[in-house]
Amino acid sequence: MRGDARSRRVVVVPDVVVNPPDGASDRLSDLALSGWGVVALPPATLPAEIVHPLVAAIVDQVIALLDGGYEVALLPSAADPGMRRFVAALATSGRTVADLA
Amino acid sequence: MRTVCYLAHCLLNANAKVDEGARCQGVSSPVLALLRDHDCTIRQMPCPELAFGGTSRFWAVREQYDTPVYRAHCRRLAEPVAAQIRADVATGARVIVIGIDGSPSMGVELTAASPEWGGRPDKPRDEDYPVTLGAGIFTETLLDLLSGVILNVRAVGIGQDLFDYDEAKELEKLDAMLGEGAGDAG
Repeated sequence: MRGDARSRRVVVVPDVVVNPPDGASDRLSDLALSGWGVVALPPATLPAEIVHPLVAAIVDQVIALLDGGYEVALLPSAADPGMRRFVAALATSGRTVADLA
Repeated sequence: MRTVCYLAHCLLNANAKVDEGARCQGVSSPVLALLRDHDCTIRQMPCPELAFGGTSRFWAVREQYDTPVYRAHCRRLAEPVAAQIRADVATGARVIVIGIDGSPSMGVELTAASPEWGGRPDKPRDEDYPVTLGAGIFTETLLDLLSGVILNVRAVGIGQDLFDYDEAKELEKLDAMLGEGAGDAG
């Protein structure tokens, strides 16, 4: 049997963190080294009929993590349209998540 | 040619795993490093078990998940993923789905199945976990939805749910797949 390696800390990040542009810092690798689990939002450029169900599924997963007592944070990126869409969708479920300190 | 990798959710978030199922705190750094080395675009697929069974669920086999409701749940999650894969394929990218071998949901070549599992959760997670040939329920659903573009999509499983998980061997397998066609014009 293995022990429980889970950090119980999860951060929601915009697609640009998972797929940084050339020359940008690799924040995903930094989060990995810090022990955070990552929930990646889909690219904001996807058509609405694809992105809406993807975001709805992410909201369901984040709620499961919150209900399980996990720490969930947002990587501050209010200017990212994908992040704004996620925050709005989460709010309709009556939940909020704070920015990563 | 651009390579787009669709990762099982837990490869970026091991917190989605069942108790004692995680092999790292959060992100699987060796897998991430390999994807970075090959300059892959990364997409994270949803974890079908997390929202369905929560964070306190026990380890299970295919038979325990194989209900009409769970299959509908997997289909609801897989449909937008399949649409996103089609969009990537339409741009000329090659797509690799990276699942978790040994998982009842995310397995690619190996899953876990046994008609005898059930009742009290008194089975140890490792030694007698009934790994069998076959795909997990979500992977099976996704690949079925992709049947029209399957020639442009490959799938590989990282054996993190196997008792005898050999990380070096699994990374070598993934590295080989990522290297295939890397020099093709796209």
